Amino acid sequence: MRTKVAWILTPLLVMLMSFSYAQEKTITGNVTDHEGLALPGVTVLVVGTTTGTQTDFDGNYTIKASVGQILRYSYVGQKTTERKVGSSNTISLQMDEDAEALDEVVVVAYGSQKKKSIVGSVTSLGEEMIDSQQLTTITSAIQGTVAGVNVITSGGQPGSNPTIRIRGIGSINASAEPLIVVDGVPFNGNINSISGDQIESMNILKDASSTALYGSRAANGVVLITTKKGSYNSGSKITVSAVSGFSTPAVALHDRIGNDDMMRYSWEAERNKNLYITGQSATDAGINASQSLISNLGYNPYNVAQPVDQNGNLVPGATSLWETDWEDEMLRSAAQRNEYTVSISGGGESSRFFLSANYLNQEGAVRESDFERFTTRLNLETEVKDWLTVGLNTSLSTSKQNFPTQSGSTFQSSYQWIYSMSSIYPLYRRNENGGLVLDNSGNRIYDYGSTPGQSVNGSRPLLGNENAVGSLYNYDDVNKRTNALVNGFAKIKFSDNLSFKTNLSYENYLFDSNSYDAYDVGVASSVGGRVAQDRDITTTFNFTNSLNYDKTFGDHSIQANAIFEAYKLKVDALGAQGTGFLPGVKVLNGSTLPEGVSGFISEDRLTSYLGRLAYSYKDRYFIEGSYRRDGSSRFSEDTRWGNFFSVGGSWVISDENFLAGSSTINLLKLRASYGELGNNGTSSYFPYLQGFETGNNELDNTGVLLGDVTDPNLTWETSALFNVGLDFSLLNDRLDGSFEYYSKESIDLIYTKPLPISTGNSGITTNVGSIKNSGYEMSLTGRLIQNNKVTWTLGVNAAINKNEITELTQDEFITGTKKWKEGKSLYDFFIQDWAGVDPEDGYGMWYKDVLDVDGNPTGERETTKDYSEATRYYQGSSLPDVTGGLTTDLKVGGFDFNMLFNFSFGAQVYDSSYAGLMDGFSRPGYTASPDIANRWTQPGDITDVPLLLNSQNDFNGTSTRFLFDNDYVRLRAITLGYTLPSDITKKAYLDNVRIYLRGDNLFTWQSHKGIDPEQSLAGTTDSRSSLLKTISLGLNVQF
Amino acid sequence: MKNIIKKGILSLLCTSSLVFVGCSEDYLNEPQPTEVVAESVIFGSRTGVESFLSGIARRARRQFTSVDAAGVNSIYFARTIKGNDLIHARSWWGFDYDNDNREPTYRRTSFSWEFPYYMINQINACINGVETSELSEIDKQELTGQAKALRAFYYFQLALEFQEGYTEANRDLPAPPIYTELSTEGKPMGTLGELYDFIVDDLKVAISSLTEERLGKSYVNVNVANGILARVYLAMGNWSGAEAAAFAAYGGNVNEVLDPATYGNGFDDISNKEWIWGMPQTGDQSNYYYNAPSAFVDPITPAYNNVYINEYFSNEFTATDARNTFQVGTATDYTKVTSTKFLFAFSSDIVIMRTAEMILIEAEAKFRQGDETGAKDLLFELQSNRDPLAVKSSNTGAALEEEILLERRKEMYGEFGVEWFDAKRLQRGIVRTPNHRIVKNLEPNDKRFYLKIPQVEIDANENIDNSVNANR
Repeated sequence: MRTKVAWILTPLLVMLMSFSYAQEKTITGNVTDHEGLALPGVTVLVVGTTTGTQTDFDGNYTIKASVGQILRYSYVGQKTTERKVGSSNTISLQMDEDAEALDEVVVVAYGSQKKKSIVGSVTSLGEEMIDSQQLTTITSAIQGTVAGVNVITSGGQPGSNPTIRIRGIGSINASAEPLIVVDGVPFNGNINSISGDQIESMNILKDASSTALYGSRAANGVVLITTKKGSYNSGSKITVSAVSGFSTPAVALHDRIGNDDMMRYSWEAERNKNLYITGQSATDAGINASQSLISNLGYNPYNVAQPVDQNGNLVPGATSLWETDWEDEMLRSAAQRNEYTVSISGGGESSRFFLSANYLNQEGAVRESDFERFTTRLNLETEVKDWLTVGLNTSLSTSKQNFPTQSGSTFQSSYQWIYSMSSIYPLYRRNENGGLVLDNSGNRIYDYGSTPGQSVNGSRPLLGNENAVGSLYNYDDVNKRTNALVNGFAKIKFSDNLSFKTNLSYENYLFDSNSYDAYDVGVASSVGGRVAQDRDITTTFNFTNSLNYDKTFGDHSIQANAIFEAYKLKVDALGAQGTGFLPGVKVLNGSTLPEGVSGFISEDRLTSYLGRLAYSYKDRYFIEGSYRRDGSSRFSEDTRWGNFFSVGGSWVISDENFLAGSSTINLLKLRASYGELGNNGTSSYFPYLQGFETGNNELDNTGVLLGDVTDPNLTWETSALFNVGLDFSLLNDRLDGSFEYYSKESIDLIYTKPLPISTGNSGITTNVGSIKNSGYEMSLTGRLIQNNKVTWTLGVNAAINKNEITELTQDEFITGTKKWKEGKSLYDFFIQDWAGVDPEDGYGMWYKDVLDVDGNPTGERETTKDYSEATRYYQGSSLPDVTGGLTTDLKVGGFDFNMLFNFSFGAQVYDSSYAGLMDGFSRPGYTASPDIANRWTQPGDITDVPLLLNSQNDFNGTSTRFLFDNDYVRLRAITLGYTLPSDITKKAYLDNVRIYLRGDNLFTWQSHKGIDPEQSLAGTTDSRSSLLKTISLGLNVQF
Repeated sequence: MKNIIKKGILSLLCTSSLVFVGCSEDYLNEPQPTEVVAESVIFGSRTGVESFLSGIARRARRQFTSVDAAGVNSIYFARTIKGNDLIHARSWWGFDYDNDNREPTYRRTSFSWEFPYYMINQINACINGVETSELSEIDKQELTGQAKALRAFYYFQLALEFQEGYTEANRDLPAPPIYTELSTEGKPMGTLGELYDFIVDDLKVAISSLTEERLGKSYVNVNVANGILARVYLAMGNWSGAEAAAFAAYGGNVNEVLDPATYGNGFDDISNKEWIWGMPQTGDQSNYYYNAPSAFVDPITPAYNNVYINEYFSNEFTATDARNTFQVGTATDYTKVTSTKFLFAFSSDIVIMRTAEMILIEAEAKFRQGDETGAKDLLFELQSNRDPLAVKSSNTGAALEEEILLERRKEMYGEFGVEWFDAKRLQRGIVRTPNHRIVKNLEPNDKRFYLKIPQVEIDANENIDNSVNANR
């Protein structure tokens, strides 16, 4: 393997590496920091050459150099040191602490700044944090590691991307997603096309001052992703890693009942209907229930024709011929995950490069679901002249996702199936006597519950003409994505102070979704199968020109930027659908009847003028302002221009005389910012135009329909953000952290205001009202132990956010399970309040307001059994009170141990899956939760579960009965690694070898079990599959 | 030298940026929607307006919200399944069968309200667009005529679904509001009298402006407009009006407009000469499994296959009756009898109105006006067309009335809820025979003959509050 890789890479390395000269000798040595601790990763460079290396884990290095040459040692936080090569073959040194350690540079909007000078709120995730998790989608790394960011991964289909909300939910109908910027360019492809190994850092910009330059689309924050670039003057290095593991769903599903219970309960539901609704005598009710049971259910899994007697007991001798475990048939017991990476990086005096290739194959929890990705990246940068630097970042990624439906209410949706289909329905077809039906080749046939003409075991009362297990194998749902990105820049230095940079990027994202419904069974069997294919091409151009000025005179320093930017996105969509296929033919060419074609082109453009001016005095006082003017094609000519700005300042208190040199307080910095940003993230590209929509043809006649009513004056949604923060580092830098307060008010919200449906429109998208998010964030990192052998770091972050509607143009809206009203949150549940079960008759009850003679509530409540009379009340919120994470990192010798927890407290979730399982057999054939055992059975029973009743009722209608606290703590990642001692690896000509065992989502503590705690922002379930827990073994080799 | 290059590049860049700035307004104007057509195109020509009417016709049979909430056919089948003649076994339509699907938050309630209003808003846009257009007066008349007939049709559905049947005494009962133009404000409830007056006015205008010409049988012509009016007058008890409108709708020649040989062909072909109005479907323009009645009643083609025929009803048919589409199976319960009247395929057309109905309306109207002989003659003309061995009725009075109403059910079972419609308009109940899966009877004027006002409307309409559903 190794020779093969080397063979492939040699030509490349030959081009990029320069060779050493004669007369050189081998220098070895050891580097320690100012406290005398071994310092791994120090760059050692022979000045004037491209020869370089890094110290290993123990701080040792080996380099070839000639006498008289200078070795330069550099490391973040330490003063760069030089030594001349003399006669000795050993050069060891202790580096000095760099007082300006905060000169660490952070990537910010349109450039980078010294960390110290930052006035806004920026959280950086470095390489280590990203490496310590198994990320199929890189943005998942934010969860639990950055305060104030709410990340929700809905469902366990690998390759699905999480929902990210920075500092609360600032928009309703406009996009509330943060802007993702990769290497300076807004990213429109699928974020899962970037693999974790390519990432150098991920910075989360949260406040106005840091995001203002992205003002037009930065109202929801910005995720800045910087890819690895290699470093100048470093030796080339190759990293090979492999990780393999197994996954299972992270949490267990709700339990379901088996055949015997199903039959007894179904009987009881029918008996109760006969007894209490139809008014039959108890005896008749029982007899009739026994007689009609099988015809109600459609199927009889027992060896006797009438398996339940008139008293509701299974008749003696009745045994099940089958009892289907749908979960087992549907879900994998162990899904595999394999990831392999090869990357090469390095650089010479004037060029640097990074080349990587990554392959990932992950299976999902649902059988047949998987995600396979190959991604590669080449970043090059070269100083052509001392005044001209050019660079090119390119990446190509292709992925294939088998995506059987795992949420929602289509019939083949797997979790819905598990939660609906009783075990009494067979996986394979059965005849009227319960015997297996085989095809002509003797194979079993999936039972689609739709065998007309067969009175028993032929027709299911639910999810007819479908078999979700069969559909996993008989249907295909494949998404293919190809993402190609070219991002080039040229930087011209006119003088030491003035430079110009132009950056042009082109991104081409091809999304191909292909679905096939079988020719012989299921939904499309009557038309010989169906193929539906969509192929959308999204291209993005981004062109940025910036003029930058940077000057320091005396204690004063000025930085100014003037930027012009043009952005163009084009979606070119094409779809086709056809029916009538031969067995095995799954491409449209085989179609005998085209069912439809579709296609459209949408464009979105933006032009922007930007300016930023920053001033600092004595590197202690910083002030910064920016302005941006944007024109968006999403709004009409009259309303399309928006003006956005920000101001911010910071004060490094610890640099004042009274604190300078303190060993207790190493850093104390106060910063504040205010700004107004825009959001044009409407759901359609032309939300202000009402037109006649094509595609409504009546046979051969072209047909159009009037589109939804629109507001021609729709304009930018604006957010006003205020942020104040305190950064500190205490006790010889043993403890550092920050506290922040923010308030973010979104005004002129872009919202689809509900209209009375009698107007023929259900809503109008307009600028309505405002919402405010405010909260506190805290993060602390403690270096508890730090010595030669052991380091132990503990980090904690937490955030609280309050979401409040501050203005509405009408008194209130009801949308789904929420009611929006001034002073309330967008995510406060507003539903009926369950009042338990009436012990007399077993019916469910809800609360309602007692009204006075004028029809106004008196403030008292009474119970009602009529659901439509029940009053809806505010009941908690789907937004958590506190979210955060905990990290701990322990290194002992060659061992490293790392854990990451994330938590969420105070949210509620409405579990409609559980509601379905507690239905009480009003719909025959649906399975149920074992909790149904607590049902009311006779007058006087005190219980919270109503009687079983095979008749439509509202017992499981939306109410607090199914609203649960959704607190959870999740062990997102745990890693135990061992790095081989360098004397062993050196013998094998390797720089570094690390083996590790890693677990993701291994443990979830949750207040409401049966569903994954991560569902949706709105706290509603949708029969989603669970996240996966994964255990894997990894190997990382560097040479 | 270096400086010259740099200065050159700098000035070039500055110039190009400036040029770009100048063009930015054009740059932003350039993107235009590609899948929508401007109003000027639609109302600029007769063809344009006809494309709008085509879209409206298509929408009548698409997938609106759910399998049991697709289009006109869903409203019709919900009425059908509430009766005694068909029996529901399981799955979709169960709550309608249970006569229980009427609470404010239920799908039937919101669909039966939202769908007609959605169509009405489209039709209003069409009428108002035509009226302010530059089209010729003749074009304007013919186009608004079609639109007004459609508007009346949808308001009629609202009137039937959301209030008691029409009587003089009921004219002041609250009824769905009338909109004639685009509005973003909800209106308060109107009255039933107002609503029926509006429907009749629209239909009169339509009839006076339409001819028999049309683009296809899913479009409105003068026969369709007359057919709708005949139904409306039947519901209002305007017997002479119903007689005239029904006669005009089918033309008066009974044997000419009937084709008994095709009755048993599956009710899936709009070109059948008995069909006055229908909804055509093709493999590429289908509502798929949303096709009630056929996806549910058809016992052969795999679909839902969950509706059976009451054997008390099927026993009313002679073996020689062309309308006898029944198979009697071996089961002993309600699943005994099935019907092949409606055959399911994605390309099965859906019937809205047929000539036989008009003949029977005319017969009933004659009877109601005292012309029992005329009624009986006409009835027998139809009966003998359907069954060559039919015997002319000797019934009079109430027995004749029952015979006419039974004949309506025998002719049109499964099509538009004839049993429910007759029970509602004549203030009769619906009594289910004991072989039903759910034996629930409707009293005359039972509240379950109409629905509550949907909660989504109340929540968004400032002029309608929860009290609208008090005592509903």
